[in-house]
Amino acid sequence: MSVTLAIAVGLLMGVVFGFALEKSRVFEPGIIVGQMQLRNFIMLKVFLAAVATGAVVLAALNGFGYVKLAPKAALYGADIVGGLILGAGIALAGACPGTTLAQIGAGYRDALFTLVGGLFGAVAYSYAEPALSKTFLGQGGGKLIFSDLAGIPYWAGALILAGTIVVILVALESWRPWRPELGNDFDGDIASTPSVSAKIHIVPAE
Amino acid sequence: MLTQKAWSPYIAGIVIGLLQIPAFLIIETALGASSSYVTVGGLIASWFDPALLKIGYVARHVAINAKNWWQVALVAGVALGALLSMTLSGARRRSISPIWQRALGSASPAKRYAVAFFGGFIMLFGARIADGCTSGHGISGMAQLAVGSTVAVAAMFLGGIATATLVLRRI
Repeated sequence: MSVTLAIAVGLLMGVVFGFALEKSRVFEPGIIVGQMQLRNFIMLKVFLAAVATGAVVLAALNGFGYVKLAPKAALYGADIVGGLILGAGIALAGACPGTTLAQIGAGYRDALFTLVGGLFGAVAYSYAEPALSKTFLGQGGGKLIFSDLAGIPYWAGALILAGTIVVILVALESWRPWRPELGNDFDGDIASTPSVSAKIHIVPAE
Repeated sequence: MLTQKAWSPYIAGIVIGLLQIPAFLIIETALGASSSYVTVGGLIASWFDPALLKIGYVARHVAINAKNWWQVALVAGVALGALLSMTLSGARRRSISPIWQRALGSASPAKRYAVAFFGGFIMLFGARIADGCTSGHGISGMAQLAVGSTVAVAAMFLGGIATATLVLRRI
């Protein structure tokens, strides 16, 4: 495929991606930090809905032989150490590597600092990569997937995952409905949004 | 629908998940975001230090091929898509989210910018160690039932929850 066409496809897909991130409000620092403080669950809902949809799509595309899977190799040391540092960064940035760009598009000025910090972080890793890959961070197995471990076809495992996620989301939604978690200004800022129960308390007092 | 201020997280998640169709069929890869920081950062840094391109990892990421530059275009498109969505809904954002004043215990923009820079730095340093982020390991890796990605996502939430609880203040 030509690079020009790939860039055009990427831009188009990115616009859809950014549009959905903005509409879901998951790019808001209030929603991301709120999720990490376990007081707002919109991020988990968007994330799990995307995983389940991807699993169904890939079960069909792979099951009927249209595409090959491209899972990353299981490097447990790197996955754990890298994942912990990545998570700490997400909490402090109030963003993920992808949603940083959505924040910039939405006009958050601090996201420009997140972006530049991210570019420096990626370059710093690049300088360290030859040394780091010789340590335990470079050790690991191959492209391991759960359905192979269970001895079932990928499509079956993917559909089981999607079904399990749907059950989890139904339970999560009945426990924590999504609308009140948006906040007054749709930014996940629930603390400065007067809650319904507070209003009910005020009325009888008057 | 396009002018609404917010969609259900489930609708938005489904739209994002459906993007795996063009990603796998046209580009033959999964959705991801963090590699693009190596492509762009590595390219810019190589103007100052051409020796950087001798590192195989960097050379692979800055090479002019469909996969590398598709992802750079994807993240650029994310900014455009968010801008478009906000313009259609007529939403207005302040330059810093109001939650940061509580989370950082300070209204100083300089403090927030410093924390954002540091957060962005370790976010990408960690993502490159793990070889993926919320998109690559999370949305794509878990959908593919990848064992390593599932471990990375668990660690990511663990690190995020610990930091947001112990370092940041209650928002």
